Amino acid sequence: MDSPTLTRRTFVKTGGALIVTLSLPAWAVRGAAAAAAGNSLDPTVLASWLEIRADGTVVVRTGRAEMGVGMSAYYAQMVAEELDVRPESIQLVMGHTDETPDGGWSADFLTGAENLRKVAAYTRGALLGLAAERLGAPESALAVTDGVVSGGGGRVSYVELVAGQQLELTIPITGDLASVSADGTNIDNAFGLNVSGDPALKPVRDYKVIGRDFPMPGIPDQVTGRTVWIGDVRLPDMLHARMVRPATLGSTLVSVPELDRSRFPNAQIVTKNNLVAVVSPDEWEAVKAARAVQAETRWSSWEGLPGSDDVTAAYRTNTEPMAAGDADAVGAALAGAARTLEVTYSQQYVKHAPIGPYVAVADVGSDGTVTVHTHSANTQALRAHIAMMLETTTDKVIVRWHEGAGQYGRASLGGDGAEADAVILSQLLGKPVRVQWTLREDLAWSGASPGWVADLKAGLDAQGKLVAIQTDWYAPHQNDARMLGALLAGMPTIQPLAFVFPASFGFQPSPGGVGGDPPYAIPHQLHRAYSMQSLGQDAPSGVGLRGNIMRTPGHRQNVFALESLVNEAAAAAGADPIQYRMDHEPFPRLADLLQKTAAAAEWSPRPSPGPHARRTGSAPVSGRGIATVMRFGACWVGIAEVEVTPGSGQVRVTRFTLGVDPGKIINPRHLRRNMEGGIMMGLGEALKEEVVFDRGKVTSDNWRRYPIPTMADMPEIRLVQTSRDDAGFGGGGEAANTVPAPAIAAAVFDAIGVQPRRTPISAAYVRQLIEQA
Amino acid sequence: MASITLTVNGATRTVEAAADAPLLYVLRNQLGLSGPKLGCEMAQCGACAVLADGEEIRSCVTRAANVAGRSIVTIEGLAAVWAEQRGLDATEAAATLHPIQQAWIDVQVPQCGYCQSGMMIAAADLLERNPTPTEADIREAFSNTPPSPHLCRCGMYPAIIEAVQRAARAMAD
Ligand code: FES
Ligand code: FES
Repeated sequence: MDSPTLTRRTFVKTGGALIVTLSLPAWAVRGAAAAAAGNSLDPTVLASWLEIRADGTVVVRTGRAEMGVGMSAYYAQMVAEELDVRPESIQLVMGHTDETPDGGWSADFLTGAENLRKVAAYTRGALLGLAAERLGAPESALAVTDGVVSGGGGRVSYVELVAGQQLELTIPITGDLASVSADGTNIDNAFGLNVSGDPALKPVRDYKVIGRDFPMPGIPDQVTGRTVWIGDVRLPDMLHARMVRPATLGSTLVSVPELDRSRFPNAQIVTKNNLVAVVSPDEWEAVKAARAVQAETRWSSWEGLPGSDDVTAAYRTNTEPMAAGDADAVGAALAGAARTLEVTYSQQYVKHAPIGPYVAVADVGSDGTVTVHTHSANTQALRAHIAMMLETTTDKVIVRWHEGAGQYGRASLGGDGAEADAVILSQLLGKPVRVQWTLREDLAWSGASPGWVADLKAGLDAQGKLVAIQTDWYAPHQNDARMLGALLAGMPTIQPLAFVFPASFGFQPSPGGVGGDPPYAIPHQLHRAYSMQSLGQDAPSGVGLRGNIMRTPGHRQNVFALESLVNEAAAAAGADPIQYRMDHEPFPRLADLLQKTAAAAEWSPRPSPGPHARRTGSAPVSGRGIATVMRFGACWVGIAEVEVTPGSGQVRVTRFTLGVDPGKIINPRHLRRNMEGGIMMGLGEALKEEVVFDRGKVTSDNWRRYPIPTMADMPEIRLVQTSRDDAGFGGGGEAANTVPAPAIAAAVFDAIGVQPRRTPISAAYVRQLIEQA
Repeated sequence: MASITLTVNGATRTVEAAADAPLLYVLRNQLGLSGPKLGCEMAQCGACAVLADGEEIRSCVTRAANVAGRSIVTIEGLAAVWAEQRGLDATEAAATLHPIQQAWIDVQVPQCGYCQSGMMIAAADLLERNPTPTEADIREAFSNTPPSPHLCRCGMYPAIIEAVQRAARAMAD
């Protein structure tokens, strides 16, 4: 079915609700297991996306969760706008797999929002139909304000329309919920369901709620201490666990000591293969006992990593790339170019580095049912991972979502935290188990955004314009969603496919571009990606350095290289880097934003390096640089102003101007927060952050060894927001973090006349650049 | 196990805890106060910060037994501190947040919010010492006060500065 139908079923004595439910897709009737796997979509229990309660509350349910970038505000705004109710009346239920209909990936806000807009529009349409009947007026004569329909000389509220009856609206959907793939090697449908059809949507010009600074509903509870965070979940009879991790990322267990019963009377050691934990009803006892056990546990040695100081050669192992572009045409264009540039860029591994280490609670019942409490950004996918690990079906697993420390994409593929540990321990012990990772464990054992190296060539014509670029990208892939606990316990995990996101290797149309457009017109392009499995994945333990996506995957890598190349080409051409971009027929929205952001930064055109550039002295020298990105319907321009102290190599960002055109802006204030937060995260990566590892293990395992930006690092920030009514909604929660690194690198070049080609741009690296210049 | 008597958010509470138990664990597990957060557990981030006699301490590295006799305040108790300072009656007090909490809501400081309990405690500590801090004072307090900077991985530092100054104005009124 592909259009909504409204049926009025039972008369209910009190209250009344309009329940929007899914039309049952084919999978839901494939069999009992499949139907039950559909969460609350069991045909005998009416699932709902949306309910209008008798008190006027509108309950909205989405499998996507608040990841700390404002979705809980935006979803409420989207629904309120289409339904014509006050956003304050929206009550969101997020993430729980047993209480939400659709699953999906929390970071994929645009799809989630499209779903809820349509749900709201279908609902509004049905309510208007009822109101027309009640008021004796045609639908076209009705208007709705704050949930009250008026027309034909009368008024009736949504609540009155649904009072005393149970109304079911069935709407069309496509897609499926996450499940274990038929061959048992991967997770299918990690992106959940989509609402289909074309309900009438409100014209943008009539928006009242979208475009306003609606607050995030969870904040009052957070600031008063009422929020039940993931770390606050306590179940009856629950045990606290601390994990005892191997000596290296590849080690296997040799021996576990006896627990000193006189010191730790209530604690217990639990092992399964290479998974070792200490549990106790008392958390502090578990901590101390785990420390004692850790000191005495013996592991095999392993030295299968290259070490982070010398890692780039290890990426160049694959000789069969994925390629896009015409090699012959690019070869000819490069050969015929008036001038060519050949440069190599690289970035080190970086970490999501949440402020709170991961924690999870699991309860595995004797009947095989599993409840997992998490702050995963993809509870449906996590559910499928857990089912795969336990070799059970997804209907046996419930995942409950709670707020947690921001994780910036780390949990987008399912669970890269304590979830598997907690499930395994609960299964072994027959009790609920809470596993709290330590910061050290979180920084040393979670997945990381992999480092990479890329060789780029550019051909410039006699006027200095880019006629061809060729790029070759070498990197471990970033989709290693194998759960640590499952790996160590020797239980089934997915077998990740080693591939690089298309956006990782070039100026690709989508999601690299906006509406299928590349940012600049460069006639001949060839992009090749050489991917590989995680470093150390073949270790005896099977763990290694797992590569995971992180905020803005794809562009977080390629923007540094491609935008740096454009900046270097501009310098080679003796052109101002903004004018140089304007000369390459930028995507029109990007061109507009370049101008606006340049104006906000008081940019005066000139080529780099600057007239006062120097490489000596202990007085700081200033520089400025620019970078852009286009992603998921949004254009971004960042301008960095820095001071470099040549003598010490120290780089300080004094001002950062960031412009965005994300189409229609939903919530200017929370977009601002994402812009500010993105600048800070990008600045950290540009200047400080690097996962340091030796031949066996990550050693950057606390905040001194993995320094992230502090308030002292914050530059003056200037922001430019451009809202458009004619360009749909674009992504605002990520992408900002990609522009600081290339903009800061360009600014350092502007200041000292040497181009940084790797991150982090540490003082030692700048000194090295100066000495080699 | 030892019997430890603490004054927390104005109430006297006696708990049975290990003599070396960190205050953070006692607050969260024995006293049901989940405002202070577990972060680094090594005095490097500020997520666990609480006030002891009005001064910020890191509850992750402070033994509960060592603060017996000091007045501990978590974000759950901030509103009551303000009500007492202002002499609000019970009805007013119930409806009033501490100006720092109100500023955090009004400015919409949190993204994930995990660090923000510690940030509000740091703000209370600062405003107690310096009721009219400049931006430079705030940067200094949040970055360079021992034992460590207050870290926000979401990068909400600009909003924190705005909120501290807003709270300062409200408290001066
Ligand atoms: S948890 Fe105490 S300072 Fe980080
Ligand atoms: S708001 Fe997320 S860590 Fe500060």
